[in-house]
Amino acid sequence: MRRVVPIILLCALLPLHAVSLRYAAQARKALPQGREEAAYAIPGPILKITSLEFDGLASDLMFLRALVFYGSTYERKEKPRVKDWEWQRLYRELTAATDLDPYFRDPYYFAEGTLPWDGHLVNETNLLLEKGSKFRDWDWLMPFYVGFNHFYFLQDNAQASTYLMEASKRPGSSVTIASLATRLAVKGDRTETAIVFLEQLLTQEKDEEIKKEYKVRLKALKGIWVLEKAVASYNASFGKPPASLNALVERRLLRQIPVDPYGGTFYLDEDGAVKTTSDLRHKEDK
Amino acid sequence: MNLWPVAAVTFKEGIRNRAIYGISLFALLFLVASQLVSGMIMQDVGKVVVDMALSTVSFSGLLLVLFVGINLMAKDLDRRTIYMVLSRPISRSQYLFGKFLGMALLIITTVALVGFFAVAAIVLTKLRFPNFFGQFTWWLVFLSIAYTTLSLILLTALSFLFASLVSTSFITLVLTICSYLIGHAISDVKALVETPQAVGIQVAPLTVKLVQGAYYFFPNLSLFDIKTQAAHGLAVPLASICWTVVYGLGYTAIVMILASLIFSKREFP
Repeated sequence: MRRVVPIILLCALLPLHAVSLRYAAQARKALPQGREEAAYAIPGPILKITSLEFDGLASDLMFLRALVFYGSTYERKEKPRVKDWEWQRLYRELTAATDLDPYFRDPYYFAEGTLPWDGHLVNETNLLLEKGSKFRDWDWLMPFYVGFNHFYFLQDNAQASTYLMEASKRPGSSVTIASLATRLAVKGDRTETAIVFLEQLLTQEKDEEIKKEYKVRLKALKGIWVLEKAVASYNASFGKPPASLNALVERRLLRQIPVDPYGGTFYLDEDGAVKTTSDLRHKEDK
Repeated sequence: MNLWPVAAVTFKEGIRNRAIYGISLFALLFLVASQLVSGMIMQDVGKVVVDMALSTVSFSGLLLVLFVGINLMAKDLDRRTIYMVLSRPISRSQYLFGKFLGMALLIITTVALVGFFAVAAIVLTKLRFPNFFGQFTWWLVFLSIAYTTLSLILLTALSFLFASLVSTSFITLVLTICSYLIGHAISDVKALVETPQAVGIQVAPLTVKLVQGAYYFFPNLSLFDIKTQAAHGLAVPLASICWTVVYGLGYTAIVMILASLIFSKREFP
């Protein structure tokens, strides 16, 4: 008898436990919550205090959080895939990770591969990379990234050249970078310079997803470059710009018009520059 | 000096403590986790695995000091078993220093054990991803483990001081945890209140003075934290090593002398 009572009690309480857990969790979800968009980011110096002697570990976790979040967005169906405030949050998390350990390479690397492209956070990325460049003073990739952003996104060749000069002085950088720097300082041959830049980035890249992104862009740029060269030789032969890109094929300067890997079509604008209707962005991101 | 018998008994008692198994199990689990995490990192795999390995060493050492070390000293006072010891021909400070020596040996043994696992985890990762170890040097890993040992011995000395001041082991535990937290935060807090504009806050001049005072009073444990340097293979100059070791041993000696002074005068109920 003495044993029966506790056993009956247990049998009654176990289902109650399961039910109460379920309803309590549901009720908790219904509690008013702060909007995620407005979530406050803890400043780096405070994080450094709270993480005690585990700054490096905290930095790793913060970076993994950002990485896992970004990876999870690939499952989403909605467009755009990542919202503006989410890009901002990613930026803040990567900033926190690099405040905790400013020597950590991955956050900079991840930021350069994502934030300025689809996130349009060019100035923020540069701010982050300047920190990387200051601390990782042996790493030529940091100033190289900043230089690339200045050239490609901000169209500021003078600044780009300064950063590339810095990159070319660091160990391990290739000769191409020094010549890129001088080319940027002298003339604005944008498409060809961009191709050289991207090819340089591609040789450094190990992440397949980012590599794919670079390759698509490279293919589009090469298409534009081919067209630009053809337009220039049309100009030289006939003394006037072609009426449209089809004229290049008709005059046998090109066998066919290259395909834009972003899904747009190349065209010639009023100033005689080669453009594309996709604006070098994936359709879903527009 | 008749330190050795007490030290040997303390060491044996500590080694027999079941908490050690728990700590070792925790360390092993964490190092297995480090293998999983290192596969998710894109570039700085070496840095992440060194971070995790060295953090495991210091965290298990901390658990040892808090849950085994304090028991060894303070439980003697709690349970009044100290009367048995003091009735023997041994002075109180001999008892205290003997206990401390035994505890230091226990820390060195445990850190060596966990450190061995940590090194094994790094070796394993290095074999798996040999190209993702930037400027990595083994000797910084070992230096970091040695620094951790020194800081744990310092923390133990503090726990001895608290144990000779207060009457229950629980209060000793709380005070030791507080000194650990303050010790690791104090230099960052000092940096923050001296340049508060970095996070856009205002700090009263009195607070700055208080923090600067506390900086000299509490142990600066962050001096012994060179995990970041070890993870990135950054230079640690010889002068800094010498001064850190001198600081660690000096602070430990001051605390232990204070503890023995207080302990000798203490009245047991």
